[in-house]
Amino acid sequence: MTDPRSGFSRRALLAAGMGAVALPFLPAAARAQGSGPLRIAALSPLSGAGGTYGPSMVKAIRAVVEEANAAGGILGRPVELVVEDDQTSPEAAVRAMRKLIDVDRVVAVAGVWSSAVAAAIAPLCWESGTFLATCAGADALTNLPHQGFLARTQPNTTLQGRKFGEFALSQGARRVFMLSPQTPFVQSQFDNITAAVKAQGGETELLVYDDKKPSYRSELQQALRFRPDAIVLGGYLPDTTVLVKDMLRAGFAGTRIAFAYSVNQKLVDSVPAEAVEGIYTIAPSPAENSPAWKHMTEQAGTTTPDPYSTQSYDQANLVLLALQAAGTASGTAIRDTLRKISQTPGGTVVSRVTEGLAALKAGQALNYEGASGPCDFTEKGDIIDCQFRYEQVKAGKLTLLRIA
Amino acid sequence: MLSYLLFSVTIGGIYALLALALNLAWGGAGLVNLGLAGFFGIGAYATALATGAGLPVALGLGIAMLAGVLAGLAITGATLRLRDDYLAIVTLGFGEIVRLVALNERWLTNGADGLSGIVAPFKAQLGVQGFNQGSALAVTALVLLVWWLLRRLDASPFGRALRAVREDQELAAFAGKPVLRLKFQAFALSAALAGLAGALYAHTQSYISPDHFQPLITIYIFLAVTAGGLGRPLGALLGAYAVVIFLEGTRFLAALVPGIEPVQVAALREALVGLSLLLVLHFRPRGLLPERIPPAPKALP
Repeated sequence: MTDPRSGFSRRALLAAGMGAVALPFLPAAARAQGSGPLRIAALSPLSGAGGTYGPSMVKAIRAVVEEANAAGGILGRPVELVVEDDQTSPEAAVRAMRKLIDVDRVVAVAGVWSSAVAAAIAPLCWESGTFLATCAGADALTNLPHQGFLARTQPNTTLQGRKFGEFALSQGARRVFMLSPQTPFVQSQFDNITAAVKAQGGETELLVYDDKKPSYRSELQQALRFRPDAIVLGGYLPDTTVLVKDMLRAGFAGTRIAFAYSVNQKLVDSVPAEAVEGIYTIAPSPAENSPAWKHMTEQAGTTTPDPYSTQSYDQANLVLLALQAAGTASGTAIRDTLRKISQTPGGTVVSRVTEGLAALKAGQALNYEGASGPCDFTEKGDIIDCQFRYEQVKAGKLTLLRIA
Repeated sequence: MLSYLLFSVTIGGIYALLALALNLAWGGAGLVNLGLAGFFGIGAYATALATGAGLPVALGLGIAMLAGVLAGLAITGATLRLRDDYLAIVTLGFGEIVRLVALNERWLTNGADGLSGIVAPFKAQLGVQGFNQGSALAVTALVLLVWWLLRRLDASPFGRALRAVREDQELAAFAGKPVLRLKFQAFALSAALAGLAGALYAHTQSYISPDHFQPLITIYIFLAVTAGGLGRPLGALLGAYAVVIFLEGTRFLAALVPGIEPVQVAALREALVGLSLLLVLHFRPRGLLPERIPPAPKALP
């Protein structure tokens, strides 16, 4: 005689097991027919070192997707945004990207922040034909064999370095010292500062520090021995916070120049006023007061969006418009049409997804002008033109000097 | 979906190798190794550089294990007098040193840009899909082989001697066990396995950078071994797969919770990792598959 209980439980277990295995395949099968929602992804740092930037980037991308859906979707299909956290770690990012490609079958990923993450997921993207839009600045990225599947909205380091060097010279500095943690761009940044400063007969020196130290007094001593007129701070927010306080203690009175993403209002508010007074910041300028910028700030509910969220906003717009213009939903289609909507000479200038969709419907060629800048790309995927924004901390406020 | 599952199997296998490595040193000989990510990184960089210089992949795997052994011997040599927490802190420091060297010695490791385009064996012949299937198979086979060998090792006189060292070092020495040599051997073997895991990671992913080898991965492996059952290879093995299933599964679970922002999803996932460890430790303090101590053999008549 069989034991009815054991027979039942085994069969039930089997059925449940089969069901569990089959479950994930069902939506995939439905998706493969080319109907249903069109998926794009945001793979941004929501935890880890980049965790302060990711949330606003995701918010900017989501706003664009919602706007497109309100206007009837892309290619007649609703757009679905899948968000994953890259944990600011390439190892975790690769796992997340695999899921986005194989399970969600996204056609594009935007809002990728760190250079190491972008470099780690880039091979997955070009092998699977997924388009990758990133804010990462490392020179090496666009030199990867990405077959056009990668584009970035951040100027590469060569350009940024030269701007820092030229700015230091314009402040009358001849001896420029750079303090930076080890980043993918420190060397090329320093080389380009040096090129600019040496051309005017100046001197430069570089010190690479560990970005997790609680104090930088010995590093500063070494820097001051060089007798610099100007110190360039190449770090991120946490280490720069420590560094500016130590500089005050060390009594350095020369010019200090930093990236706007490290010396931002958050840092200014968190340290004693005299520690940050007078610091200059340089950043690739968002196209402030351009139509796209105004629209983006209204959506985001802030008048001072950080550069990465303006770039993420543009990436989402570009991806969606390229899909609509191409007429097919694939990463390859985005690759092939991106430059037709971003920089057609004489094309209709558009600054938001609804305008772009309307212009495409009217059969016009497009030239997207974004919140982060003109968004025109070279063959390699670098942006062609970018303005820089120079600010100075005055009385505890970041004050605009000029945009050039 | 299928290739995602295959990829998760590959990653699970690599985590399992790391867990087996940790279990050998920590569960076997009581040597806490918080620098696991460092040995993982050494293996990855060793094979990436060797195969980058034109050596075949099989040799690269061998070099990765050898590099692991050398690093393991160096660490054991430097920490002869340290045990428990003190050893843990020193090895944690070692793991960070490896990462910082990889970050700063640009001439060798290409710094923060990392090494891209690492040789993926047979990828050209197999295609992307075939390569994913092949690597999942190869990694799993290797994991099973290592697991079987470690099980044998556990049951051997060598394994019993290691446990004697773990339980009471002085007593083991008094009983005539070469404590120092056993420690060297256990740690070097463990480091070789971690190096092998790193090499497999490098060849399946084709890109490594210093950021890959942050202490985060060490924590995941500790979670795997603790939850699976310290001192039992099968526990470590299953624990590692369970951690990967958990890490990946929470992506889908979190998507089902309505009305929360992506940031909160990210935070929720991290909280769940901690919570599950607490729960396992509370209800199964010795892990899901606790160590089995075989009864002492009966004395011969």
